[in-house]
Amino acid sequence: MYILEQLINGICQGSIYALMAIGYAVIYGVVGLVTFTYGEIIMMGSFSAFYYFILFGDNLFFALIAGFITAAAVGIIVHKVCYEKFLDAPRYISLISTIGMSMFLKNFATIIFGSEMKGMPTFFSGKFILLGDIRVSYMQLLIIGVVIVLSILLTIYLKKTRMGMKLRAVSQDKKAAALVGINVKTTTLIGNCIGCGLGGIAGILLGVYYNSVLPTMGGMAGLKAFSSMVLGGLGSISGAAIGGVLIGVVENLGIALTSSGLRDVFAFLLLVLVLVVRPRGLFGKKGN
Amino acid sequence: MLKKVLVIVLCLAMVIGVFAGCKKDEGSDVIKIGVAAPITDKWAEYGKGFEVATQMAADKINAAGGVNGKTIELVVMDSKGDPKEATEIARKFVENEDIIAVVGDFSSTCCMATAPIYTEAKMTQLSPTASHPDYAGMSEFMFGVMGRQDGEAPFFAEFLAGKYMGAEKMAIIYLNNDWGVSAYTNMVKGAQAVGLEITAEENFVDGEKDFTATLTKIRQTNPDTIALIMFYNEVSIISKQIAAMGWDDVKVCTLGPGTSDQIIELGGADVEGLVTSTPFMVTPDDTRAWDFKTEFESKAGFTLNVHSACAYDALTMIAKAIENLGDNAARETIAGELASMKDFVGITGPIVFTADGDVFRKYKIAAIEDGTWVQKTDYSFGE
Repeated sequence: MYILEQLINGICQGSIYALMAIGYAVIYGVVGLVTFTYGEIIMMGSFSAFYYFILFGDNLFFALIAGFITAAAVGIIVHKVCYEKFLDAPRYISLISTIGMSMFLKNFATIIFGSEMKGMPTFFSGKFILLGDIRVSYMQLLIIGVVIVLSILLTIYLKKTRMGMKLRAVSQDKKAAALVGINVKTTTLIGNCIGCGLGGIAGILLGVYYNSVLPTMGGMAGLKAFSSMVLGGLGSISGAAIGGVLIGVVENLGIALTSSGLRDVFAFLLLVLVLVVRPRGLFGKKGN
Repeated sequence: MLKKVLVIVLCLAMVIGVFAGCKKDEGSDVIKIGVAAPITDKWAEYGKGFEVATQMAADKINAAGGVNGKTIELVVMDSKGDPKEATEIARKFVENEDIIAVVGDFSSTCCMATAPIYTEAKMTQLSPTASHPDYAGMSEFMFGVMGRQDGEAPFFAEFLAGKYMGAEKMAIIYLNNDWGVSAYTNMVKGAQAVGLEITAEENFVDGEKDFTATLTKIRQTNPDTIALIMFYNEVSIISKQIAAMGWDDVKVCTLGPGTSDQIIELGGADVEGLVTSTPFMVTPDDTRAWDFKTEFESKAGFTLNVHSACAYDALTMIAKAIENLGDNAARETIAGELASMKDFVGITGPIVFTADGDVFRKYKIAAIEDGTWVQKTDYSFGE
């Protein structure tokens, strides 16, 4: 029973990681680059919800939309500053730009929002359902639900719509996509915005689940998103989702067996072990 | 020709530059004291409290004519609660010859990291809040006014958890840093001495946000009380997560944050009933402290906590030491004077240093009732 309860905790946390990783994988796919600004985009999404709650009351659904839009808007800025000018330049230039952008956003947020931790409103406090002897709180159900719904929507979008097809084409081969008449610049921009928006929603879920937002919360979040994606296999969206859930579960079971001080040890040990045995990640394709 | 002139001008500039720092202002009528505090980042409430309280102390002394006719000027720097930043600041303070002593830092970790730097420069560091039992003993120049964890944590286990809350089975969650570990080991010792059963001991690394796994684990051991050794952010997060789990048959007490406003601000209804120990809590019949509290709150914009009151006392103490020394006041002499001071009474009560350079204090118990901190027992409870 106890282990099952910890498993639910792990799946819940893992699904937030998964959502972050999915967004990261979309960005990596279309832009073709690792980004270091992602953690700060998560933070921006979280803060937009914080201010949404203050201004318009505690409506989680609209806050999620506000977070998606804000994060996507920041994504446009990141795209204009860090990627667009350097699409044909060596990759490390964009990479370094994203590091600079990440520092800028973090310090900007500290100045504008203040450096103290801020509290998020509580949703359905203390309510849980009993499955046998296992307690699952409403909040956990909501988070898992939101992540599953968003994953399904994204899959439909990528597989069934024209824009989704363009996105997939660009992520497979930019030059060939341009040859068949796809506007690569716009498509990359849209892909980047979708990825960032998903990150923003993940940020809100993080903030609401832990009741806190902080300008420096992005560092660890970005790192976990990146690890989940690498674990699942670079560029594989379903792989990223599974990687995220796996890291969440391993962390929580690790804490159940030892101590919470060792949380990150378990997360990154898993990553290292998988990479040693299978360098391309769990679901990565060969030569990717 | 032009080149030659340029070379000569540049050489002159260099030579002047070499001597520029040498001019010593003998007749200076300013005494500079360094203040290192976590003004931004995770412990900002305490850091801002340090800033406001030390400035209030300096203003008060200056308004009364200063120290030996000189005015006190503070050099405030933000350590962000990070020992790396704290050591940078320590080096800056040490290099600045005008700075005669330092008030700070907030955390034991930062204070212990900077201790060797200050000691080498024979500079006194008087920390308002560091309470690790090893800190003040590190050198003759290190002092702390908060009291030590081997005083507070046993009190916490025996009187706060045991006698006041009636705990029989207690779980402990503690912050894994110098201070947290020392508070935790001392609390366990205190609990063993009075036969209080410890059902679980969990630690976490600074910055942790998700305590659901830890709490689920602790819940298995069926404690009737949880003791939280940490600061306001984590206390409020854990209280909220306990509430979110629907765990309502457990009492929560906390060692560390004192009567912090941020707990109530962040925790809202979920921290109602939280109990803490504090060496200082103002009651309206103590007029000196009450006036201080009113003035502090109008300047800082939040409720006075014990940490800020200690910062006020720390600066006042250093000023007093400089005044006692008169013309002999210098970096090297302040520590000796502080150690031998026997008659100082601050806002937080009489302060007399032990041989190590810290203080033994008595503690009050406070709890949150209807969204404010209320004093529940006086100092005599622990006797």
